[in-house]
Amino acid sequence: MARVRPHRSDIAIAGAFARDVAQLTHNIVCTGRTTDLKCKNGCGFYGNAEWDGYCSKCYRDNQQKERERSTSSQIRPEHSKPRIPGFTKFEEKKRQQTDKKNKYFKNLAPVFRKSSGKDSHRGDRHHDFHHANPEIQKLTAEFISKYGIYGEYVPKDFTKCVTATCTKVLTLIDNKPVEEIAELIQKYYNVFLNRLNTHGMYEEINSEVKDQMLDMFEKFVMIELYSALFCPTFTHDEEEDLRIQERIRKLSWVTAHHLGCCISETSVEVRDLVYTAITDLLGIDSVKAPQDKLSCVVRCCRSVMEVLQHCQGGPVSADEFLPALIFIVLKGNPTRLKSNIHYVTRFCNDTRLMQGEGGYYFTNLCCAVSFIENLTAESLSMSEDEFTAYMTGVITPVSAWESALVACESMHQLCEHLALLKGLSERTDGVQKGTVELKNDIEKFQEEITSSVSTVLKRTPLVIKPRKTPITIDRQDSNTDALPSPIAPIIVTKLVDEDEVTDPNVQKESPALKFYQQNLQLQPLDIGTNKKNMLQLDITPCLEPSKSTENLQAGEFLLDNQSVDGLTPDDGHNIFIGLSNVNYDIDFSDLSADNSMADEITPDKHKSLSFTPDPFSPVGSSCNIAQTPLMPSAVPISSNNAAQNDDFMLSLTESEQNKSILDKDEDTALVHLPPPLIPTASNYSGFSKQGWQIPSIPCNTGDFSSLDTSQPHSSSTDNLDLDTSDTVPK
Amino acid sequence: MARDYDHLFKLLIIGDSGVGKSSLLLRFADNTFSGSYITTIGVDFKIRTVSIDGQRIKLQIWDTAGQERFRTITSTYYRGTHGVIVVYDVTNGDSFANVKRWLHEIEQNCDVVNRILVGNKNDCPDRKVVLTEDAKRFADTMGIQLFETSAKDNINVEEMFISVTRLVLRAKLEMKERQNVTQNDVVNLRKSNKQGKKKCC
Repeated sequence: MARVRPHRSDIAIAGAFARDVAQLTHNIVCTGRTTDLKCKNGCGFYGNAEWDGYCSKCYRDNQQKERERSTSSQIRPEHSKPRIPGFTKFEEKKRQQTDKKNKYFKNLAPVFRKSSGKDSHRGDRHHDFHHANPEIQKLTAEFISKYGIYGEYVPKDFTKCVTATCTKVLTLIDNKPVEEIAELIQKYYNVFLNRLNTHGMYEEINSEVKDQMLDMFEKFVMIELYSALFCPTFTHDEEEDLRIQERIRKLSWVTAHHLGCCISETSVEVRDLVYTAITDLLGIDSVKAPQDKLSCVVRCCRSVMEVLQHCQGGPVSADEFLPALIFIVLKGNPTRLKSNIHYVTRFCNDTRLMQGEGGYYFTNLCCAVSFIENLTAESLSMSEDEFTAYMTGVITPVSAWESALVACESMHQLCEHLALLKGLSERTDGVQKGTVELKNDIEKFQEEITSSVSTVLKRTPLVIKPRKTPITIDRQDSNTDALPSPIAPIIVTKLVDEDEVTDPNVQKESPALKFYQQNLQLQPLDIGTNKKNMLQLDITPCLEPSKSTENLQAGEFLLDNQSVDGLTPDDGHNIFIGLSNVNYDIDFSDLSADNSMADEITPDKHKSLSFTPDPFSPVGSSCNIAQTPLMPSAVPISSNNAAQNDDFMLSLTESEQNKSILDKDEDTALVHLPPPLIPTASNYSGFSKQGWQIPSIPCNTGDFSSLDTSQPHSSSTDNLDLDTSDTVPK
Repeated sequence: MARDYDHLFKLLIIGDSGVGKSSLLLRFADNTFSGSYITTIGVDFKIRTVSIDGQRIKLQIWDTAGQERFRTITSTYYRGTHGVIVVYDVTNGDSFANVKRWLHEIEQNCDVVNRILVGNKNDCPDRKVVLTEDAKRFADTMGIQLFETSAKDNINVEEMFISVTRLVLRAKLEMKERQNVTQNDVVNLRKSNKQGKKKCC
């Protein structure tokens, strides 16, 4: 509807509202006339509406008093803060003095004083107006966001009404007693409500929202006027505040027991609830709008209800509630209590104050306050003497509450500290746990490392020892001198090299010695096993690089494994084939392992060559060979380590070993070097025996017994096989 | 109007301490009966909506502290009250004797208010000391209705509240009519008069 005729413009709205207001003020005037035509002071003369219903004389006196109050109140705030007991007396004196002063003034220049007084009031108000602005702005924003949906004219009209009300009240504030202003504001509420119900602009809005808007209206107006109307300077509110405060302080000895209510002061929950109730009650002074103050009271009273429910565990009746509320007020001693109560009674919308929960509790609060004000010995059901003794401080009561308060405070702090400590200990626990975990982790890690290292070490020593045994093996080997066989390898190495390069060479060389054949066999076997059971056999890797002597031992293992694999079950022939394949593989593996290390590999070959010469040398001299086997013995250790790791590692280690060996041999690294080696051999005799022996032994043990016998034949065939096999792997 | 009630009445329960004001209220508000009620935290303040002659009436019932020492301050409770329920204990002669004082207090604080006299705890004939005849006679002389109830056994509680509500409703409707009549004669003065009256109640 508002949109249908939007041109019912602001002027019209304002006009309508102004008319309402005019009627309203007229009403006030009428009531003034009808109810009491005579002077309000009851002096017998007729009063006048212009003079607030006083006669001219009384009005002037009244004005005078108001001015005095305002001046005295300007001094008061500084003193009211410290709350000195016995301050009221001082206050009284002060008033008398100012009275005298004012009388003097009055005689001097009443006109001047009047105008100046008004001016100062105005200035104050304007200042306050600006001060309240942010709050109002916030409220306005809230209003627009809430009710903006009803068209832009609703908020506009609303603010117009608010400002009209405020300005009207502010113009009257100096001349009218506070009761009349309160009545005026109540009437404004009614006017606005009527406007909501009758104006076309608000037709679309349902009654619930209208109630809310009326609430908002009240809030707006009262926040705007708060500084002017709360504890106004022209009333006795402030003195009453001080009086009740003093009174409550004097009654600090009153306990719940005195009031006959069952608040158990020692219970923690109850104490907490009492504290919340007191806090809520104290909150009255911190909010501005009457309804907010009311809601503070409601919250306080609800807490009191909870306290009582807690204490007696059943439904609470007013018989218990009121004393409890009195107790709370006594213990809370809220600031500006009377001012707040007056403010709410005067300016809170009457309809709300007379009914509803807020109304009920507020009424109870009023009752409590007036009870405190009129408290006598009788109302506490004690003798007059006792009461006066308490009041004058002759008896200082051992108030459970007071002691409890002190105890509570410390207990409260204790609890808080305990909670804090608990939190801290929890955190330290967490930290400790973390550290323990970390420690465990570290230990575990260390263990793991050590274990892995130890396992590695275990493995290596294990391998090492067997490797060292080869020396003993040497002894065994020494039984038989097989010097010729080492010699054969020389040819073999050559052959191998040639094999790699060309097959025909091998064939050419095939007539080589039996030793060579044996060596060949050995090597292939080792390598084959390596490839098959790399991880299983630590020894095998060593064997690869190692010379025939060691190979023999390794061969045993290898063969065993192979047998397990199922190679053994087959005929020797099969094995031979396998061997032949392996043989090729060996060469290949060496190559493949160190493609980049080809140089090193070749040295290996050289070494083998160098080794081969040894066999040869035995023919010439046994010394040479004896030393070379020693070298291999050193080799296996490292090779074993490598064996545990990867092929790659293996190859590397091998290469290293080879390198070291090579380095030594490198001078004679060339294929043609073998001859130099031969001369160097000194202890050859023993070793050659071993070398001779070794090939035979492993072959016997590792291979099947049949192998031994068949070896020579097989070796010959091996070569052939190799040739064929060569092609296959490639 | 989109409200959930047509009339809103404030009722006050007064009487000596321990006569069962709170239990009456509790019985009335918490008994599962036709009509909804909103339970607030305590028993002291209750709202219940009842329906009379097709009109929904929301009752706000205020409990008061009955102790002697609070007697002087109870006047604040009377503000805006539509009906008062004066309760005495049929097993307690003193409480009945005090009824007169209570009634006097009501008169002092309210111009026109609907009152009802209730003798509570009427569930144990052996202990009954306030005879129904005496109470009846007294009520008649004061021109008020008498009910003997038992909050414990739920006797007459509902009826009592309904009848006081009826009283209040009738009074309100009569007043409205009177206002309408008078409003036609004189406009402004009466209106303000009425408002003044409303205030003091």
